[in-house]
Amino acid sequence: MPMYQVKPVCGGDIKIDLPSCMYKLPNVHAQQGNSCTSEHALQNGEVDPAVKALEARQDEIMRKLYELKAAVEGLAKTVTTPDADLDLTVISSLSSPTFSSTTLKGTTDLDTLLGKDHGALRDIVINANPAQPPLTLLVLHSLLCQRYRVLSTVHVHSSVASVPPQLLSCLGPRHADSYARQLFQLGFTLIWKDVPKLQMKFSIQNMCPIEGEANVARFLFKLLAPYPGDAALATSVDSWVDTAFFQLVEGSAKEQAAVLRALNSALGRSPWLVGPEFSLADVACYCCLLRSGSASVAPANVQRWLKSCENVGHFGPAKALLQ
Amino acid sequence: MTKEEAQGATEEEQQAQSKKGQKKQQKEAEKAAKKAEKQAKLAAEQQSTEEDDFAKDRYGMPAMVQSQQKLDRALVRVQDLTPERADQLIWLRARVHTSRAKGKQCFLVLRQQQFNVQALVAVGDRASKQMVKFAANITKESIVDVEAAVRKVEQKIESCSQQDVELHIERIFVVSQAEARLPLQLDDAVRPEAVGEEEGRATVNQDTKLDNRVIDLRTTTSQAIFRLQSGVCQLFRDTLTTKGFVEIQTPKIISAASEGGANVFTVSYFKTSAYLAQSPQLYKQMCICADFEKVFCVGPVFRAEDSNTHRHLTEFVGLDIEMAFNYHYHEVIDSITDTMVQIFKGLRDNFQTEIQTVNKQFPSEPFKFLEPTLRLEFTEGVAMLREAGVEMGDEEDLSTPNEKLLGRLVKEKYDTDFYVLDKYPLAVRPFYTMPDPSDPKYSNSYDMFMRGEEILSGAQRVHDAQLLTERATHHQIDLEKIKAYIDSFRYGAPPHGGGGIGLERVCMLYLGLHNVRQTSMFPRDPKRLTP
Repeated sequence: MPMYQVKPVCGGDIKIDLPSCMYKLPNVHAQQGNSCTSEHALQNGEVDPAVKALEARQDEIMRKLYELKAAVEGLAKTVTTPDADLDLTVISSLSSPTFSSTTLKGTTDLDTLLGKDHGALRDIVINANPAQPPLTLLVLHSLLCQRYRVLSTVHVHSSVASVPPQLLSCLGPRHADSYARQLFQLGFTLIWKDVPKLQMKFSIQNMCPIEGEANVARFLFKLLAPYPGDAALATSVDSWVDTAFFQLVEGSAKEQAAVLRALNSALGRSPWLVGPEFSLADVACYCCLLRSGSASVAPANVQRWLKSCENVGHFGPAKALLQ
Repeated sequence: MTKEEAQGATEEEQQAQSKKGQKKQQKEAEKAAKKAEKQAKLAAEQQSTEEDDFAKDRYGMPAMVQSQQKLDRALVRVQDLTPERADQLIWLRARVHTSRAKGKQCFLVLRQQQFNVQALVAVGDRASKQMVKFAANITKESIVDVEAAVRKVEQKIESCSQQDVELHIERIFVVSQAEARLPLQLDDAVRPEAVGEEEGRATVNQDTKLDNRVIDLRTTTSQAIFRLQSGVCQLFRDTLTTKGFVEIQTPKIISAASEGGANVFTVSYFKTSAYLAQSPQLYKQMCICADFEKVFCVGPVFRAEDSNTHRHLTEFVGLDIEMAFNYHYHEVIDSITDTMVQIFKGLRDNFQTEIQTVNKQFPSEPFKFLEPTLRLEFTEGVAMLREAGVEMGDEEDLSTPNEKLLGRLVKEKYDTDFYVLDKYPLAVRPFYTMPDPSDPKYSNSYDMFMRGEEILSGAQRVHDAQLLTERATHHQIDLEKIKAYIDSFRYGAPPHGGGGIGLERVCMLYLGLHNVRQTSMFPRDPKRLTP
């Protein structure tokens, strides 16, 4: 039995507000006429922004530190226990937030992705054969236009005699400001040319041309949002993209039917092909399905998924082109 | 040197041949002349009559054609000699390209512009030994009238343009004889530059070709080049006329140098002197102020630049365009680039034979372009050059090597040989260029490039007299000299712009040739004034 009993002085669950800023200064603007803040008033214009900048820098550094710490922890797990099951909950919390289905918000930045800006429009040049219009790229173009200011142009190369008019207007109407190229962040130049395989050129000095619609789609998608940080999800996306391009488009009827069955079962488990979010896999499979012509005979889950894709928007131009 | 030795040897051969030939020709000439007159009097007889004195009237050198009489003989073109005409007896007039005797036969190649056909004179019931000898001795480049039967051949004759037929000559007369010693051999003039095992075979120097331009122009390559050039001019006129442009003719003798005094030719003009126009700039703009709205003109341009380069001439043909626009000078750029694209398309679709003929002697990559034309801004061009390692200032003009490098970079990225570079810096353009509205460092001016070389320099012109005076003063130009020019804008002038191209340079760059003198019929440069 205790000798002395003392009533608790303070409650056990008082919330303590931990300060978020290291150095606090009285607000200069709020106490104008006060004598005790006269010295702060003198330094009026110089104190506030510097403090704010310091705060911001500190936040940034702390955030980076946390990220780094988390990454190192994750790596440490794999190094020390190589055959331990990767804790999915930990890893998925590391991956940067992906995107909602309609507006893709990612932590991407054109400078980091495409290299330093030399003061000129960053022009992506795509050479496509008019006999096989790249539907996925049209969808991605529409998504890019939402995210950045894109200057889109369509040209016909001299190796092609003529193209049907809908191919000339597939990127939409000409932007009102298209006479001033430097107002745009990104250029999207589509050239209808007699090429055996779709080709993309961006930076002649640093990049070789990228060939194949699937690969160009991957490049363009990275401008919108980074690939899912989770390696399994990323591989899944890649695998669906390849399935779409190799088996749906170029495969025999049997292969196409097999892909449709696989799609059906995958879509039975989640609303989108890869996880809960809309991704490049959905874009690729939709377009290839449309092109192979088997959209009408697709099973129930696939039909539902096709409708949801169309609800996302951006698939209009691709569909129009096929008519 | 190999060339001279080879030429000397052939000259001696020809002299030996011609001595023999001339003696024979003198004997036969008079008889043949009388007989030829008799035959010519008869109505067009397609069958030659067999006579006992055997072939003496079926060859020779008739009297000079002084329009003695009007024959209704139909001459067939060499290009129409096809297997459909097999076994027909036809007359034709062509040049003797080569003649080669082989025992009882003589093979001739008869040439007409780009087409040639093999012909044969054989000793038989139609021809005598003397006739074969006569045919073998006809000098190269002589013009002959030939009556022959068209025969099909089993094996294609690769060396001629008419590969499926051969002519068996029944009658041959020399209408105009060429001198025995030619200043250059046509076969040498058409031979491509030596590569590998072909080294040592003769080709002809450009200067020799230009000195004997009349003969050089007979080659298949030259014929093709100038037909293509005619096509360019034709397409230019047709495209612009369809767009509603009016063709104007501007004066070439002018009183004051329009673009700086250094590069003008002076001519004496009665008691004073005048200048030859450097460009129709001033008069094009006056036409716009005179409400013609869209004009173009095709005419000579005279530049007294002492530049001895592969792409400068002192006199060339300028194709100039000027048009009034509504709100933005890009309307002008679109119009000009569309015209150029129509010209390229017309050449690509209708002149493939000519392009292939030129390529045989001067191989090059086919010309590629985009429609609509690619338009890059000057800052983009500078960025591309900087990325490639070139150091240059923001407002610096592009030097020729930089232009070529930029052309290669653009070709690499966009696969086009023709593009427009827009928004040049104001400091490097003439005083009548309109400055950019938002950035005073730049101007509303543009250059167009083909295969990395500049072909057109154009801009939106200043159409306000006051601004024009300011700009002229800024460039330290004497206002008195350009008073008439400034006056033309004082009575209401629409906003306008335009540009001009050089016909010879465009042809040279389209075909991928390396010297503008090849596309100028009788070129003029600081060192050449004749032919």
